[in-house]
Amino acid sequence: MEELTAKVENGGDNVTEGATAALPDFAVKMDNVGFSYADGQPNAVNNVTLEVKRGEFLAVLGHNGSGKSTLARLICGLLTADTGSISVWGYNPADKEQLGEVRAHAGVVFQNPDNQMVASIVEDDIAFGPENLGVPREEIGERISWALAAVGMEEFRHSTPTRLSGGQKQRIAVAGVLAIKPDVLILDESTAMLDPRGRREVTEVAARLNREEGMTVILITHFMEEALLADRAVIMNRGEIVACGTPQEIFERGEQLETYNLCLPEIGEICNKIKAADIDIPTCLRPAELAAELKKQADIRGFNPRQSARTDDAPDENQAREWDIDISNLTFTYSAKSPFATQALKGVNLHISEGEFFGIIGHTGSGKSTLVQHLNALIKLPQAQKHYKKPRVKKGQTPPPQSSLVIGKYDLSKRKCDWRNLRADVGMVFQYPEYQLFAETVFADVAFGLKNFRPGLSKEEVQQAVKESLEAVGLNYDEVQDKSPFDLSGGQKRRAAIAGVIVTKPKILVLDEPAAGLDPLGKREIMKLLHSLHGDWCKTVIIVSHDMDEIAENCTRACVVSNGQIVACDKPEGLFKRAEELQSLGLDVPVTAKICTELSALGLDLECDFTSRDFAAAVISALGGGGNA
Amino acid sequence: MLNDVTFGQYYPTKSFVHRLDPRVKLLFLIAYIVMLFVANSFYGLALCGLILIIATIAARVPVWSVLRSVKGVIFILAFTSLLNIFFHGGANLLWEWRFIHIYLEGIIFAVFLTFRLFFLVMGSALLTLTTTPVNLTDGLESLLFPLTLIKIPVHVLALIMSIALRFIPTLMDETNRIIAAQKARGASFDTGNIFKRVKAIIPVLIPLLISAFRRAEELGDAMDVRCYSSGKKRTKYKKLKFSGRDIVAALFAAIMIAGVILFNIYGYRIYPQIYQYLVIS
Repeated sequence: MEELTAKVENGGDNVTEGATAALPDFAVKMDNVGFSYADGQPNAVNNVTLEVKRGEFLAVLGHNGSGKSTLARLICGLLTADTGSISVWGYNPADKEQLGEVRAHAGVVFQNPDNQMVASIVEDDIAFGPENLGVPREEIGERISWALAAVGMEEFRHSTPTRLSGGQKQRIAVAGVLAIKPDVLILDESTAMLDPRGRREVTEVAARLNREEGMTVILITHFMEEALLADRAVIMNRGEIVACGTPQEIFERGEQLETYNLCLPEIGEICNKIKAADIDIPTCLRPAELAAELKKQADIRGFNPRQSARTDDAPDENQAREWDIDISNLTFTYSAKSPFATQALKGVNLHISEGEFFGIIGHTGSGKSTLVQHLNALIKLPQAQKHYKKPRVKKGQTPPPQSSLVIGKYDLSKRKCDWRNLRADVGMVFQYPEYQLFAETVFADVAFGLKNFRPGLSKEEVQQAVKESLEAVGLNYDEVQDKSPFDLSGGQKRRAAIAGVIVTKPKILVLDEPAAGLDPLGKREIMKLLHSLHGDWCKTVIIVSHDMDEIAENCTRACVVSNGQIVACDKPEGLFKRAEELQSLGLDVPVTAKICTELSALGLDLECDFTSRDFAAAVISALGGGGNA
Repeated sequence: MLNDVTFGQYYPTKSFVHRLDPRVKLLFLIAYIVMLFVANSFYGLALCGLILIIATIAARVPVWSVLRSVKGVIFILAFTSLLNIFFHGGANLLWEWRFIHIYLEGIIFAVFLTFRLFFLVMGSALLTLTTTPVNLTDGLESLLFPLTLIKIPVHVLALIMSIALRFIPTLMDETNRIIAAQKARGASFDTGNIFKRVKAIIPVLIPLLISAFRRAEELGDAMDVRCYSSGKKRTKYKKLKFSGRDIVAALFAAIMIAGVILFNIYGYRIYPQIYQYLVIS
């Protein structure tokens, strides 16, 4: 830290020699800052001393609840520190008189892009900040153009933000802050709710502003890979800064990170596994780097890839089972017969066998949500709807093939299908399920579905079922049953919400983005939970995701939905071999597939099933390292 | 059901009407409504209908989106029409049964009223279809500006309205999502008696309220950070400016008002024989 300060002082000298003598030494300076949300509660931020240089790109890492967001709120004056002092561009956010200046110099972008917009048209929203500052009209226009160009959204100037994707919305939110012309840009978990593509879009904008405009950027995140873009990273745990260094130095700490409830990105884990087999490589953070390091090792050690990937334990597709799902020719049009009609599904054929852990991949608007909503008849097939009329077919023409959807014993194309029992047997967990909690106690909330589906159950039976399902999701029944669901922590809320769905013991469990918005550790725990439910509790688990690592690590089979059609359906090892094809659809591929692509560009071909475990094993056996491979 | 709310949904194109000054559109709407209520015969009403047709064509919005707006008032309309048919007095008795007397005048009045209300709702819908919520609030703010003299914070009210309009689609999406999620947990919203249905709303309403409060809090922070209440005098990016277009629209409105008044005074001369059926008393 001393060394850093020294460097900055030099920088400061250079500046004073120039014309801009008014510039402060630090963009943000925190000295021994402490803050607690309520008397008697432990400090959310404790003894934090942090100096951010002008033009620096700092990443603040920490798990959910580590105090990193509190830090952002202290800097911009939404909260006032109990102890210590903060200076933002030379101004004190605790002083009401200076607060305006603080906010004009430091802009914050928050987590949920929807909740940061005041206007229904992009340019009007971006104008909000400068309007508040009394900027003259002509200049506001220029600022809007500049801010939109900076985030690469010029063409959306007159659009409605509600119709944009998450990443696009968040870039508009960034532009709204940029229009204030801040010197410091703070991204307070601004990527947490976005899909991988949106995350990349937003972090790239931040990196470019730092590089080209010399803007000071503070990126607060729980995704360690995002910290790679930064000059320096600090880790927060329990309100304190526990580590500080270049991203590389931070990642070298490996296991130590876990005590701070942080996870290495997948690629770091892979490096560690390879290192553990006595193969000498540094911790690499980019696929290309790792591939180059492996190439070096291959030149020394030789490279003999093993022949076959792991034997698969996926159930046999050909053998029909009780709870198979058969979808054929599924077509669906939103607002049919109106000018806004959009065909969401264009003839989907899909077979999911009982016992699979199936993944559905596709980005926003691909039709994947429409597809899964058919599975428990939230959207019914046209033939099953009340006012269905058979389309007239002219003589000589073959009628269009009928959509059909059969799940186990339920034929969803029949109007008399037993919808209630179908919904009990096909559980559906929506995105952010915790936002659907409503009852006074966790018990009542979990019992809600059960009482709806099986009104005849006795009190004891209900109690028993609720207890079992709460315990199945890893919550302590006695502890939480009488609590209000809103008093639970974020992760616990999600578990309680899942318990509310699995309480009917569904045969098939469908989850839309089960890990969305969680920190990496939370993600891992949720996936672990799903694996424990799979088999014992539910026969089939279907997850919708755009996180390819998640799919590669967990699923027995996955399909890719694009533009209302299924473009590929295969086991992950088959699917991700077609990396280029997926990327051309705007989809990501798992990091293991990226490394494989880089490796084959270097002339090393590696067979694996794209889980990080198998990839590391394949590398180790090819390089002949460590006896335990 | 919630997708049917077109009210307040802007239809983006760049038509003549879209580009009119919102103040002109608001005043035009007020004039149009006054015309609807001043018109005392079907001649005047037809003129209002003509305005609506011309405006719809000039606005280049789909006809169905304008027509659909009346869905919400059909029930009220059917009710008032029935009342009018049964209880409106008159000279030409058509049918009677005990205390119910149906007069021709009653039927004419009901038809007249129906058209009047339809035109009114469609006219208002046309305004919201062609004007962004922000423009609309800007227009209102500007028109209501004199109220600042009596210390009414007009721009705060305008901002509140703009935010409300901004969040309508967001909250509507959210409502649909919560409904779907509770349906998946076996909730049913369209069966049972009225009490059961009201009770069934609770699992939707509570999450929605909680989410609305959370959003409000986050929005407040985001606005603060974006220098709202910085104490400086606010400027406005969008300055409303009258243009040639607006003069054309104003002239058009003036001619139409004159037309309605002329029909009111001299309408009886056109077809004196049937005028009694065209006028309402």
